[in-house]
Amino acid sequence: MRHLLRTGARLFWRPAADDQVDEELREHVDMLVRRLEREGLSPDAAREAALRRFGDLATVRDECRALAHDEEDQMNRQEFWAELRQDAGYGARTLRRAPLYTTIAALTLAIGIGASTAIFSVVHAVLLRDLPYRESDRVVAIWNGYREGGALSRTAIAPPEFADVMEQNRSFDQVSAVSRSSANLTGGCTDGECEPERVVAYTVSPNLFTLLGAGAALGRTFTESDVAQGAEPVVVLSHTLWMRRFGGDSTVLGRSINVNARLRTVIGVMPATVRFPDAPIGFLRERGELWAPFSWQNNRGEERGNQYLGFLARRRPDVTLDQARVDLETISARFRTTFPSRYDQTTVKWGLDARPIREEMVGEVRRPLLVVLGAVILLMLIACANVAHLSLARGAARRQEFAVRAALGAGRMRLVRQLVTESLILGASAGALGVLIAIGATRGLVRLDPGMIPQLDATTVNGAVLAFAVLSTLFCALLVGVVPALRQSITSVHDAIRSGRGAAAQPRRRVRSMLVVAEVAMALVILVGAGLLTRSFLALQRVDPGFSPGSTLTFAVTLPRARYETAAKLVAFHEQLQPRLAAVAGVASVSAIDPLPLGGTNWSGTFHIDGQVVPPGGQDPHGEYAVALPGFVKSLGMTLVSGREFETTDGPAAPAVVIVDDRLVARHFPGQDPLGKRISQEGPTGPFATIVGVVRHVYRSGPAKEGEPQIYFPFSQHEQTPMSYAVRTTVDPLSVLRAVRTEVAALDPDLPIARVATMATLEFTSLARERFNALIFAVFAATALLLAAVGLYGVMAYLVSQRQAEIGIRLALGGGPRDVARMVIGDGMRMALIGIVLGTVASLAVARVLDGLLFGIEPTDPVTYVVIAATLAVVALLASALPARRATKADPASALRA
Amino acid sequence: MPDANRTVLQGTVDLLILKTLSWGPRHGYAIARWIEETTDDVLRIEEGSLYPALYRMQKRGWIKSGWGESDIGKRIRIYSLTPSGRAELRAQSTQWELMVKAMARVLKPA
Repeated sequence: MRHLLRTGARLFWRPAADDQVDEELREHVDMLVRRLEREGLSPDAAREAALRRFGDLATVRDECRALAHDEEDQMNRQEFWAELRQDAGYGARTLRRAPLYTTIAALTLAIGIGASTAIFSVVHAVLLRDLPYRESDRVVAIWNGYREGGALSRTAIAPPEFADVMEQNRSFDQVSAVSRSSANLTGGCTDGECEPERVVAYTVSPNLFTLLGAGAALGRTFTESDVAQGAEPVVVLSHTLWMRRFGGDSTVLGRSINVNARLRTVIGVMPATVRFPDAPIGFLRERGELWAPFSWQNNRGEERGNQYLGFLARRRPDVTLDQARVDLETISARFRTTFPSRYDQTTVKWGLDARPIREEMVGEVRRPLLVVLGAVILLMLIACANVAHLSLARGAARRQEFAVRAALGAGRMRLVRQLVTESLILGASAGALGVLIAIGATRGLVRLDPGMIPQLDATTVNGAVLAFAVLSTLFCALLVGVVPALRQSITSVHDAIRSGRGAAAQPRRRVRSMLVVAEVAMALVILVGAGLLTRSFLALQRVDPGFSPGSTLTFAVTLPRARYETAAKLVAFHEQLQPRLAAVAGVASVSAIDPLPLGGTNWSGTFHIDGQVVPPGGQDPHGEYAVALPGFVKSLGMTLVSGREFETTDGPAAPAVVIVDDRLVARHFPGQDPLGKRISQEGPTGPFATIVGVVRHVYRSGPAKEGEPQIYFPFSQHEQTPMSYAVRTTVDPLSVLRAVRTEVAALDPDLPIARVATMATLEFTSLARERFNALIFAVFAATALLLAAVGLYGVMAYLVSQRQAEIGIRLALGGGPRDVARMVIGDGMRMALIGIVLGTVASLAVARVLDGLLFGIEPTDPVTYVVIAATLAVVALLASALPARRATKADPASALRA
Repeated sequence: MPDANRTVLQGTVDLLILKTLSWGPRHGYAIARWIEETTDDVLRIEEGSLYPALYRMQKRGWIKSGWGESDIGKRIRIYSLTPSGRAELRAQSTQWELMVKAMARVLKPA
């Protein structure tokens, strides 16, 4: 680059230096010739003698030329630095002399740079940085992929499927299966005293950490021998759990801890950077706190419909992702042949599907993040445009200063450089301030984490982020400096000195108008984004979730199999706990359900309807399941459409019953009375359970996800270990927590209660990401609107001041104030309207990126566009009305004299 | 041994130029004439070799140049001594005298 510049410069400068050398040498020889002629030599003889005395002219010339260039370069450099020092000193003085301008300009730029840098730091942490696994691009997640129409849904893998792929694949070095569980931890603390605790646990193939290429920070990870027959049960802890429960004590290695009422030996602690899954991988969403080994292929005897495993694999280095997919398709084809009814293809296309783990982890946040980054960069541009306005206005005021400097011999480039240097100084201070803002904002963003952005907590202002800040600073400074500088230098020295104003206003006005138009257009794009996201957020909030959060406390208990080994014991626990909790003061009703709506887990599978035979090649009906205690409809505030709820009489020995939702009725019993119909979860031949009630559909995974038809089973007929209680209260739900703990401890002192939350909190967090997006955009939009309004106002005020004389004449000639106001406002609105039209076109062009972030609203929603455009127009009207009012107040006489 | 001669002369030419300019600014041709006259043609140097020396010394900051007029009114480069050139002249003169004395001591007894 530098070389190119120098070569380019030489094209211009070399001839001058060369000519001077030639001139000097020629002159020397000529003088020598003249002297020799005076001594009496003939002209020819004199020249010959002179050249002889001079020596080798060509060599001397070349040597001198080379030296001359060297010196010239050196001088240019010195001059450049000297002038730069001078410019910088002068610039700093000028900025200091205009503290208001400097402060406003620096703050505006700093906000723009700071906001973009903060968002970029998140983008860098989440999207650009490597995952904490070795060669993570080779790690894939494998799913049961169901393709219906254009949509592909990915679901968990059943143990026999895992075992088959493990044996039959030719693409993977290693495969691991993972199942989400949870663990009740009791005792084991270093000081001996600690509460029972419930932690997020994963039961994983022993090679999981080897597959990921993540080693233990302390001790070791699992090996195959840990799952051998009769091996000692072991466990690996996460760094957080180790610090929290064991105080970072390294003697925890080799200690036995009580996990789900079973003693396991701690063999390792993972580093803080690895909490598999470190970001959501499909349904594996929560970060792990504890891992236990299990050979999932040994469960191959289970039903193929019982799909609950996450499946990870490491590609062999010589196998591409596409080749691995082809390999999986071969295996899928074999499955379809062997189990034709299970992997039926008529309505939904099924096939095993591999997806890079990076896609899994960051795929769903990539688009929102990039959209936010785009918005914040637009915001920065608006800030730059505003500061450019400011420096244009200042440029007008400084025209005489520059004219004088030009008259004193400063070249045009030198003046441009002066202005650019000034804006670089301004930019540098704004950039430094911006980085401080970014550091603060980054901390805030991490705290606002909706909990689903991978590696967000690792966001820092690091080298790459600083580089981004420096680049955006340079960009802003040049933008802010160059535009006015170029305008400035157009001004003719003569005109400027003579008039001081008025001259050359025309071209500058065009630049200003263009800046305002661009600002309005960019603000409109951000506003449309904010409008769409807000409307989508409101639409989500309007969705009837099928239950009412009300004033409800929820918590989960998981009864350890080791102590509750029989169905009777499990049922007995809840039969005792439910009335105990109901008796607590302030409690209106109590029940329990699993999975809890908005609890973050779901459970689904196929079912069969008595009397409805699925035609050969047809698909078994599929739905979401839940298990509940009597009274759940009331406690969760659900709506009973017909029939009855579960009652205590629906015991283990009583006839099997189920409750279904209105979606299931609409799909499978259209126009029939569903009560008394029978369905089975087990198989086409039963055993069947009778439908005794119909409830309204519940949006279990939040309002954005509709879900499938639902079936509720009574706990006493389908006992299981985990249940979530819903305690509806007449008082503040958290105020009964202490009493709830006492009642649980009275029944089982070693049983921890987990995931304590009010239903209202769950509802709030279920929309966390949508709220986060809408909020960020709203903040950007408000800032953009403000900046655009300020910009427009500034330009209109400037134009009015420029046209004071013209306005004075108009008023003097009898033009009414109304005409003047109309003229000024008309000017402003013309710019605003062009901006609005351009912005609308731009928004329509880029709104597609919001696809998938919007719910219940199209990216091209006309209402949003019209409302936003109207808002901007009103703001523009106000911004031009103020200067217009001032214009009409002008005294014609003084305006003319001015 | 023209090359060796030239290298020996290199330092000498610098010193001669500095000395010449210590009397006042002048152009290359005048420097050549002055050297020719004051050394009585003992140091016969090619006049062309003055110029690379001048350019080199200018680069080192010992001398500087401006524009003046030749005998027939043509534009010509005029060289003059800078303060650092004056210091250099003093240093080189001292060194030269020391060397001359040393050489004289060595050669006298012979």
